[in-house]
Amino acid sequence: MITIKHDGCILCVGCSSVCPTNAIEVVGTRMEHFADKCIDCGICVKVCPANVIQMYKGVKEAKKLPPEAEYG
Amino acid sequence: MKYDHDVIVIGGGPAGATFARIAAGAGLDVIVVDKRKEIGVPVRCGEALGVTELIKEGLDIPKGCYSIPIDGARIIAPNGKAIVWKDQGTKGWVLERKTFDKWLCELAVDKGARINTYTRALEVLKDEKGKPNGLKVTHGGRDPFDITAPLIVSAEGMESLMARQMGFKTVHALYDIDTCYEYEMKPYVHENLIELYFGNAIAPRGYLWIFPKADRKANVGIGIGGLVSNDEKLGGLKGAQPKPLLDQFIKNNEQLKDASTLLDFGGVITVGAPINEFVKDNCMIIGTAAKQVDPIHGGGIGLAMEAGVMAAGVAIKAHEKKDYRKEVLFEYEKQWRTHPGPTMAKRLLLRKVMEKVSDDDMNYIFNIMTERDLPSIMGGNFAPVVAKMVAGRPQLLAILRGLVS
Repeated sequence: MITIKHDGCILCVGCSSVCPTNAIEVVGTRMEHFADKCIDCGICVKVCPANVIQMYKGVKEAKKLPPEAEYG
Repeated sequence: MKYDHDVIVIGGGPAGATFARIAAGAGLDVIVVDKRKEIGVPVRCGEALGVTELIKEGLDIPKGCYSIPIDGARIIAPNGKAIVWKDQGTKGWVLERKTFDKWLCELAVDKGARINTYTRALEVLKDEKGKPNGLKVTHGGRDPFDITAPLIVSAEGMESLMARQMGFKTVHALYDIDTCYEYEMKPYVHENLIELYFGNAIAPRGYLWIFPKADRKANVGIGIGGLVSNDEKLGGLKGAQPKPLLDQFIKNNEQLKDASTLLDFGGVITVGAPINEFVKDNCMIIGTAAKQVDPIHGGGIGLAMEAGVMAAGVAIKAHEKKDYRKEVLFEYEKQWRTHPGPTMAKRLLLRKVMEKVSDDDMNYIFNIMTERDLPSIMGGNFAPVVAKMVAGRPQLLAILRGLVS
């Protein structure tokens, strides 16, 4: 499970260019993550130059986060 | 079937605009769709361009499109030893991509192409045989509508999402990408040379650059290998990140440590081999979308424009014959694989060998190498230089043999 901190995102779309399943796309002026397509490979985490994508192990941990952590 | 246009180009960067200019100049009805609100914005690029690339095109770059002309490069070893390389081939510009991209698009419009900004391609439309024949697009998120054409050209750059729908394999491998971060800084006093810093401590599997701009400004950026970047736990080799490495360099640099930043930007570039096919029935892929990027420095503007010219030439012929099958369009791929394909393959080899060289060996190599060796290295003639290196340090043969065998 990944989360994007939209505050520090510089919209370089690096994550969406490397995503093997098109699970991240730029929508309007921010990157949107589509969890249903995501296969948790972590490639986007590694390429993000601004280091705003974080990965959590398993779904459980991510669920513990408040909803705004994922979407805003 | 009656089509709306002759060609749809996705993306109004250097590749798409060049294609549109040439195709429209030959009388084709070309439409370019670009998802950005303004052509050229945001800039995600170091903005350097060699002089030879525009001369080939017969274009004269107007004043506002570049920041300053460049005489050459200063290449700096991990221990600080610098080699200055200045000759005809190293002349170039540091561009203002914003105005440069717009200028290329305006040239296309002058020839009769039509450019639509803020128009995002959502889906590739296909006929009953599965061949692309149009695009579903939206203007600024409003109701989607269809545009049709017998030929679709993907010039989308790194993302290349539509190209994936056309069946091109454009997903990037971590090993073959660099992740970059860049500041525009001021003041920085320079001598019209681009500066490239190498070393595993400075920029693991990549380099750090200072591209001078007008009014004592400079683009200071770093690109590091995708495999070494970020989270160690996820399999990264070192747990390095571009931004902290760049900040650390700036802190230790006499001139830059007190300079202000005017702009933060970043991105991901491909430094691998081009994709395995550039054409399919009714579609072509050009520029960075096809990974036509120099594997050594990650530059893609010149190659993109070159591919745009080639592809447009073939598209014009296909339009005359009203035949857009793969066999006809393949002429473009054939041209590219003849030139500059082999040169890029050699540079990829050089990149793969260079990333294995340790800092100590790199210092040694820089000690022996002179600026006269650089043109032959970049031209792909490695043997004389390798012989010189190995003569003084035989153990280097284990690494460098890959270049000559």
